[in-house]
Amino acid sequence: MDPARPNERPPMIHVHNHYAMATTFQVRIAGEEATYAAQAARALFDEVDRLENLLSRFRASSDISAIARLAPGETLRIGEDTCACLAIAREMETATEGAFSITAAARQTQPEPPRWTLDAARRTIHCETGALEFDLGAIGKGFALDRMAVELAEWECPAFLLIAGGSSILAGDPPPDLPGWSVGLGDEGSEPRHWLKQGSLSGSGIAVKGRHILDPRTGAPAKLRDRAWAGAPSAAVSDALSTAFMVLPEPDIVRLMTGRAEWQACLQDAGQWRVIGPAPAAIQ
Amino acid sequence: MVTNSITRRDFMRTTAAAGAGLLLAGGTRALAQIDPAPGKKLNVALVGFGAQGRVLLESLLIIEGIQLVAVVDIWDYARTYAEKYLKKMGVEVRTYENYEDLLAGEKDLQAVVVACPDFWHAPVTNACLNAGVNVYCEKMMSNTIEGARSMVQTMRSTGKLLQIGHQRRSNPRYLFALSRLLHEAKICGRLTAAQAQWNRAVAEDFGWPKKAVIPPGTLAKYGYKDMHQFRNWRWFKGLGGGPLSDLGAHQIDIFNWWFGISPRSVMASGGVDYYKTHEWYDNAMVIYEYPFPDGVARAFYQVQTTTSAGGGYFEMFMGDEGSLKMSEDPKLSAIYREARAPSWDALISKNYIRAQAAPYAPAADTKVDVRETAQLAAFDIPVSFNKKPHQPHLENFFNAIRGKAKLNCPADEAFRSEYVIHKANEAIAAGRRIDISASEVEA
Repeated sequence: MDPARPNERPPMIHVHNHYAMATTFQVRIAGEEATYAAQAARALFDEVDRLENLLSRFRASSDISAIARLAPGETLRIGEDTCACLAIAREMETATEGAFSITAAARQTQPEPPRWTLDAARRTIHCETGALEFDLGAIGKGFALDRMAVELAEWECPAFLLIAGGSSILAGDPPPDLPGWSVGLGDEGSEPRHWLKQGSLSGSGIAVKGRHILDPRTGAPAKLRDRAWAGAPSAAVSDALSTAFMVLPEPDIVRLMTGRAEWQACLQDAGQWRVIGPAPAAIQ
Repeated sequence: MVTNSITRRDFMRTTAAAGAGLLLAGGTRALAQIDPAPGKKLNVALVGFGAQGRVLLESLLIIEGIQLVAVVDIWDYARTYAEKYLKKMGVEVRTYENYEDLLAGEKDLQAVVVACPDFWHAPVTNACLNAGVNVYCEKMMSNTIEGARSMVQTMRSTGKLLQIGHQRRSNPRYLFALSRLLHEAKICGRLTAAQAQWNRAVAEDFGWPKKAVIPPGTLAKYGYKDMHQFRNWRWFKGLGGGPLSDLGAHQIDIFNWWFGISPRSVMASGGVDYYKTHEWYDNAMVIYEYPFPDGVARAFYQVQTTTSAGGGYFEMFMGDEGSLKMSEDPKLSAIYREARAPSWDALISKNYIRAQAAPYAPAADTKVDVRETAQLAAFDIPVSFNKKPHQPHLENFFNAIRGKAKLNCPADEAFRSEYVIHKANEAIAAGRRIDISASEVEA
């Protein structure tokens, strides 16, 4: 298939959609029998629903809602999924020097960022100061895609593409006879096309929700650029990076990506495109 | 948990009082035991590691004072998953294929949590109780009335505790609403009707990874025709009870619990109209009649599995002075006041309810202001809790084992609800109204 004509779908790709996390998740599985692919997709959607129950700040019984109700000095035991997601969030906060943070929105109501510690071994979170009003919006969907891929490995369906709301995708092996999944950066049918396999790509920008991305360091809306994309092996990581790339000046992005061969950035300011970092094997 | 309008201490006092009031009103609650080993962790086994087993596990892993020591499932794929997952959580467990091996291998068990398919509930529960182990069993108690009755009888003959997993019975919000609002404040006035629902969108049948097929001999040994039936047991007669027992069981139990009596009749309609591979009804609509001294209150229940439309899952109690809409999801809960009801200001002052917005209350003098139509007055329940939905019910069970609580849903109490749920399926099959006597709902 010509990547310039992505609408020509090979006949053996099974597509299933599901509403979760306030968006549409899509599973594409290639090279499998239709019923088997449908049942695998159902298992993946069950996994997304399970994670939403744990990670959504809009679900009163979620771990994230329970964490938000902690008073300073209190500690809460949390599940493995929540702990793993928060560990990645903390790791990405450090890696981006605070340009990504799940407490960005909390800065609008709190004078200082709330402080918290995570004990991964004991699966506990401790509230040091403030209210831990986490918003996993910029990482939760990617984390869900990563966990869906783990589940799909159990079903031994290697050729897949997982999509969360169009802003995060995670690819496994390509469909049969193709070098990858045809990917464009931007609106539907955008050019040029790229082949993606065994990797993730996430995008952030102002096209849909306006300037809704907040700089966690200031609490102010990000105004540096219009759009940013990030590539990484993990969808949770690419999700966090694309958000951080919306608020980081370009020299800082270049510096943070030094030694990170698995990361890629693509920035768009006033119609101008720039790619930073080596193109990873995932995107050719 | 602290809320905007109620302090932590107030809340603890309020919910404790609500619970105590219910315990006194219940009358037949199972007696608490004497703590067999004060300070010692309770050894707990989980039987059944399917979807519901995983939900319960998340609570079991955060409840203090218990130790999960074993997981049981006939599916080696589920056992392996459990071992891997628990290892990540720092919990080492032994795994068994069936409950007989569990009871043979574990000699220091204080509790078993049963979350296997419904038709195994009675054999597993009865064996555990007879082995001297307390049991928390998921609803439905059994896929048959006879199975459920046997569980009550075993509970009585062994003197062990048997809690049924109608978890809303331990939910602080439900306890508060029943005790403070429905009973004490009589916020609905005279109850005349109830309505509840839980609708789900069409979904693909459960499948299984190719590598995880159970040998036919093993499936047959445990009562399944094939893997499809094993994975989709809720839809098959002889194994489960369909959507009415899967989802309706929780909410029809609330009808009985909050009305405080059993219905005198049930009529229902439903059918296998959509799915081609199922035996139980896709959709069902049920009407119960609850006889009160001052008149009948009817309760309508619907469970659709071909559409998710209808505003989520909730139970709504309606009276001549107000309506109380409850859900495990606080966002779906609300209280509505009838214009003829007495003032609720005192209830607001006592933090029993919280106004969602200032109610429209025009002055009763010569002046009037004209603007957009005012919304109907709606109120919230100012109570939340910082736990997983099943956690309080499991904690109640473990506290009862320690002699620190009485069960909120002992098997004999649950039997009354589950009996009338079975009767709803029976009414659909019969195509007619079925009368229910006061004596037949007793185990």
